[in-house]
Amino acid sequence: MTHPSESISAYLDGELTAGERGELGQHISTCGRCAADLEDLQRVRAAVRALPVLEMPDDVYGQLREDDRVVPLHRNRGVWVGAAAAVVALVIAVAALVTPPASSVTIDQLSSRFGARVSLDPAFGPAKVIVPDFAELHE
Amino acid sequence: MESVPLTWEEVARVYGRKIYNFAYRLTGNSADAHDLVQEVLLRVRKGLANYQPGSFEGWLWRITRNAFLDEVRKQKRRPTAPIPDEIDRWDAATTESADLEFDRISLGDDIQKALLELPIEFREAVVLCDVVGLSYEEIASAVAVPVGTVRSRIHRGRKQLRELLE
Repeated sequence: MTHPSESISAYLDGELTAGERGELGQHISTCGRCAADLEDLQRVRAAVRALPVLEMPDDVYGQLREDDRVVPLHRNRGVWVGAAAAVVALVIAVAALVTPPASSVTIDQLSSRFGARVSLDPAFGPAKVIVPDFAELHE
Repeated sequence: MESVPLTWEEVARVYGRKIYNFAYRLTGNSADAHDLVQEVLLRVRKGLANYQPGSFEGWLWRITRNAFLDEVRKQKRRPTAPIPDEIDRWDAATTESADLEFDRISLGDDIQKALLELPIEFREAVVLCDVVGLSYEEIASAVAVPVGTVRSRIHRGRKQLRELLE
């Protein structure tokens, strides 16, 4: 019989069938190498199992409990998102109605009118911005 | 039929310590274990709403090991992993006189350090078996591999531990 090495751990864990267990037990009783393996693995297994059980720190729950306090808002998230979207849509619609049509002015005009300093990449040609119609700029 | 905890707080009460010990033995430090337990409980809270009756423990340990693997992937992208607590304690302890308590702690430290040197697949199989106390079948369900693979991983993990501890 070849050495059923992998079965030794399963044997220690009680994970073999009665038949497999009997076979392995018989082999170990006549095989010094497998008997030594069994002893070594038993020691390792016992050492890992003897690691102290650690207590969980209480503050693990802190953030979760904090989250629970805002759950009602999360539960109604769909309603709030819908309401916010409706308000934004309304503002845009009103703005579109009351804002006069846009016209084109140059950076130089803006700069001379408002004293603004604008620096843009000349590689993209003359800089232009679109702003609401300022009639006085064309006077 | 297996009774299912209804809230994340019940899950935390019943399984929290086991999850923490699993997390600590896999990561080797309390900060990562702490974060991992929080992540697991967050996923449990989210997942309980859609939980389908079945093996609750299988579901819970699947979540737990997936959270661990996600954390490992994140750590790989972030090279500054925290130093395991044991190494700090080991350095401090080596300056103290040897007594029984020291022997107990240092023995545990040796095992913890050896666990951290195992490939992740072997480490999680050994920890789920020997720290958490799951059966091979439960581990197979949590890790989504055949029982034969679990058997092989546990055995190879223990053999490597033996070599590391020699």
